[in-house]
Amino acid sequence: MKGQYGHRALLALAAAILIAAPGTVCSQEEVSSAIRRYRDLEVSTGYYEEYEVRPQRQRPFVVLPGVGRGAFPYSPSGARVRIRSRLADSHRGLQFYDVQRCETCHPEQSDDLHTVRANLTCRQCHGGEPIASIDHYYSPMNPIRRHAYVCAKCHEGAGASFASYVIHPPNPADIKALEEFPALFYVFWAMAAIAVGTFLVFLPHTFLWGIRELLARKKETSGEHHE
Amino acid sequence: MSTMNNTRIRRFTAVQRLFHLLLMVSFLVQGATGLARMYIETPWGQYIAWVFGGYEYCLTIHIYVGIFMLAGFLVHFFYLLARIDWKGFPKSLLGRDSVLLQPRDAKEAYEHALWLIGIRDWPRFDRWGYWEKFDYWAVFWGMVIMGVTGLLLAFSLSSSRIIPGWGLNVAFWVHRIEAILAMGHVFIIHFFIGHLRRHNFPMDKAMFEGSVDIDSVRHERPAWYERLEKNDDLKGAITTEAGRGRRAVFYAVGYLAMFTGLFLLIGGILNSAAITW
Repeated sequence: MKGQYGHRALLALAAAILIAAPGTVCSQEEVSSAIRRYRDLEVSTGYYEEYEVRPQRQRPFVVLPGVGRGAFPYSPSGARVRIRSRLADSHRGLQFYDVQRCETCHPEQSDDLHTVRANLTCRQCHGGEPIASIDHYYSPMNPIRRHAYVCAKCHEGAGASFASYVIHPPNPADIKALEEFPALFYVFWAMAAIAVGTFLVFLPHTFLWGIRELLARKKETSGEHHE
Repeated sequence: MSTMNNTRIRRFTAVQRLFHLLLMVSFLVQGATGLARMYIETPWGQYIAWVFGGYEYCLTIHIYVGIFMLAGFLVHFFYLLARIDWKGFPKSLLGRDSVLLQPRDAKEAYEHALWLIGIRDWPRFDRWGYWEKFDYWAVFWGMVIMGVTGLLLAFSLSSSRIIPGWGLNVAFWVHRIEAILAMGHVFIIHFFIGHLRRHNFPMDKAMFEGSVDIDSVRHERPAWYERLEKNDDLKGAITTEAGRGRRAVFYAVGYLAMFTGLFLLIGGILNSAAITW
């Protein structure tokens, strides 16, 4: 009997710890697999092997932007030559790299809020030389650990979702944004349409009203005659 | 000279004027602190930021005043619920004193447009013109849009647990465009209609004093005047003009608000090319 009570006490203690212990903070979450978030939302067995779902970060075929012919075989040599987003040193082999400034080649990456308003330099997030590619397995910028290794340096407690904030967003008005960030593009233009529509109605309305009242005398005096 | 004393008709209650005053002050603070941060790259923006204690303080003030506005919005919402005539519900919502947009408003807007181009007489407006109803609901909608996106952005660590983090990119632009729309509308259209058009110049004191001149009601809102007369409500609605001292305060507050708004509007337009959007 005694042993049974001890067992229960242990269970109660475990339950108390579970209730009282603080939950995981955002930056403690691990995003070790592309399917993990999908699994959270899955109602069946909730587990899928990598090959069962559409691959996300590790694509067996790599589409080269601009080439447009679709898929190229993903081979180590091919990746080294063409795909800079997976290199240990993303600038490897670039001529005169030592004497360049970041914004010489990446001008669009230096006009966002973090750079302009918070006065961050590139290296404060991207690190010193060699700067690893975003998707290199050991890069701090790799989305599996970016939130904890980069974002959380300032945004204490940043989670993986938080880290999906686009630091270098495209110009939302630009047609390029339609491809890179369609949600931003559509919402921007919807809001702009509401704003422009309101002004298109009410600015001429106000202007005409002003002109009309300048011309039309207030009928105050005639009103008093009616009394 | 006895008519000098009973020259005005009650239009807004003290509570309604208090709501407007709080909204006015907090709107201007939000506009100033928000634009200060948006224009921090320009001397103009830095000057506004200096007034509020710098770039960081601007954000702190912006967040606290934003929460205050949302709290006020919530109180206003309950105030609305309390003011609805539940006995006659839902028909009472479509009454003449209701600010709900009704088919009548479309007709009046059309007639008013014809008046604007000079081919019709002034329409027979009742208590609220369609542009006033639009102003009211614009704030209502704006409050929701600005409040939701503002909360998402202010508490980004928590909100990114509910929405994906890239949603904050979207929320940021929604917040920004809606702010430009709201400030543009208030600082150009609302101020002009309220203060500067000839029949109201130098200022429509209705929202501060709570009453409007009986003559202008007779001409600008004939249907309201006749309704009051017909229902024998006119006597109860008539009130005296505020004293000189109070009127001076109304002018001072109104014009201070207007100049603040115009300062933000003109500075914002002139400096808009000098910032990183």
